[in-house]
Amino acid sequence: MSVEKRPAFESHGELVSPAPVAPSMRRPVATTFGAVLVVLRVLAGVVWLVSLAVQWRQVLIEDLGVPLDSDASADAGSNAVLTLVLVAGGSVLAVELVLALLIYRGSNWARITVMVFATLSVAWSAVDYFGADAEITLRTTLITLALDILVLLALSSRNARAYARRPRSAKRRQRG
Amino acid sequence: MGQVGAGASGEVIEQAPIEPAQRRRFSANALLDGFFFVYAGIAAVWLAWLVLTESFSFGWFGILFFVAFWLVLAYLVLPRLHRILTTVYVPDYFIGRARTSDGLLGDPVNLAFDGGEASLHAAMRRAGWTRADDVTGASSWRIVSSTITRRSYDEAPVSPLFLFGRQQDFAYQQEVAGNPAKRHHVRFWRTPDGWLLPGGRRVDWLAAGTFDRAVGFSLFTLQITHKIDADIDVERDHIVDTVTAANPEAGVEMLADFSTGYHSRNGGGDTIRTDGDLPVVDVGAVPVEQEAER
Repeated sequence: MSVEKRPAFESHGELVSPAPVAPSMRRPVATTFGAVLVVLRVLAGVVWLVSLAVQWRQVLIEDLGVPLDSDASADAGSNAVLTLVLVAGGSVLAVELVLALLIYRGSNWARITVMVFATLSVAWSAVDYFGADAEITLRTTLITLALDILVLLALSSRNARAYARRPRSAKRRQRG
Repeated sequence: MGQVGAGASGEVIEQAPIEPAQRRRFSANALLDGFFFVYAGIAAVWLAWLVLTESFSFGWFGILFFVAFWLVLAYLVLPRLHRILTTVYVPDYFIGRARTSDGLLGDPVNLAFDGGEASLHAAMRRAGWTRADDVTGASSWRIVSSTITRRSYDEAPVSPLFLFGRQQDFAYQQEVAGNPAKRHHVRFWRTPDGWLLPGGRRVDWLAAGTFDRAVGFSLFTLQITHKIDADIDVERDHIVDTVTAANPEAGVEMLADFSTGYHSRNGGGDTIRTDGDLPVVDVGAVPVEQEAER
């Protein structure tokens, strides 16, 4: 038997140890809430895309400094870029919607994927806020940032983790 | 909503034995989870700060933001921070205390039972106790609706507390007539196979019984919680008395000074006092009723 002095604190490894899982585990509130938040995040993205489309000319001229001197070809070009942005943004949002469904059904990789993107998005906002002195207010990005952080909190919680990583055989038994 | 941050919303473990998740020496997946857990905690602190600073720029409307700040702080940020810190500094072996879902020390373990699960259920039912519903969406909704309509809900769920890293197996309660803020309640945990109490006594069940005396604001967690009566021995004796009075087959053995009289606090910051005795109630001989009451 070891007689070494026991450390006065638990191992930090405990933070990454898997949570205990009951095979008959029901979907925890955290997972449902996380999936709902991802859907809300998608809606926020739709609103953002729509407002971008509405203010497209203004954004180009004032924010990006692209000269649009009532030139027909430049106009057509800017419209093509807008379509491209909308299609790209739309497909990202569609993928996120599918991921929300997968999270709701207990997929672990979907949960990890969404958390990776939320992490990057939060990090991006943080760099903007602390580095470039961008103002984060309700009128700009507080809502999307809050949704990202809430998604992270919900999906990284121990219950959501345990549910997404529960034994798969148990899941099949549950369904069947 | 708070339960999301706290991880408090309990999965309900019924009958099914817990399978310890497979432990590998290293799992990138688990490491990633640990990272997200801590990262989300830090991000939530920032969110609380942003919401707080926003509250000043909206005039009277800002009061709403201030409420939002409190909600984020008390139900998302602090639970997550507590969870991270207590994982490291609160010992993970039996210390006679249950832990809250945030990892804080919760109600003291002040009762033990011997006997099978069916006998225990029978003994508690005959003693006039009602089994608490499990925390689910439906039962949560019923709490809200019964509070609004002022109807009684005597199977109202109790919050999850953890012992041996597990949520309670089940809980029993008794309502106090016409007062939803007050109730007797006791949580039960099955002890792991072959597990012995400090001192070497084997018991089948450990239980923590406390009396909710009011609903109030906890300065400890900043949440709205039940305040428990400081004199937990009164509740312990109440449980033992009701069980032995209704079940003549039950016997009690007292482990005197099991936890020497200590003064402490529970997870909500309420003071607790006890003489440290641990009654072991043997309900093994209680006949299991045939009628399926529930």
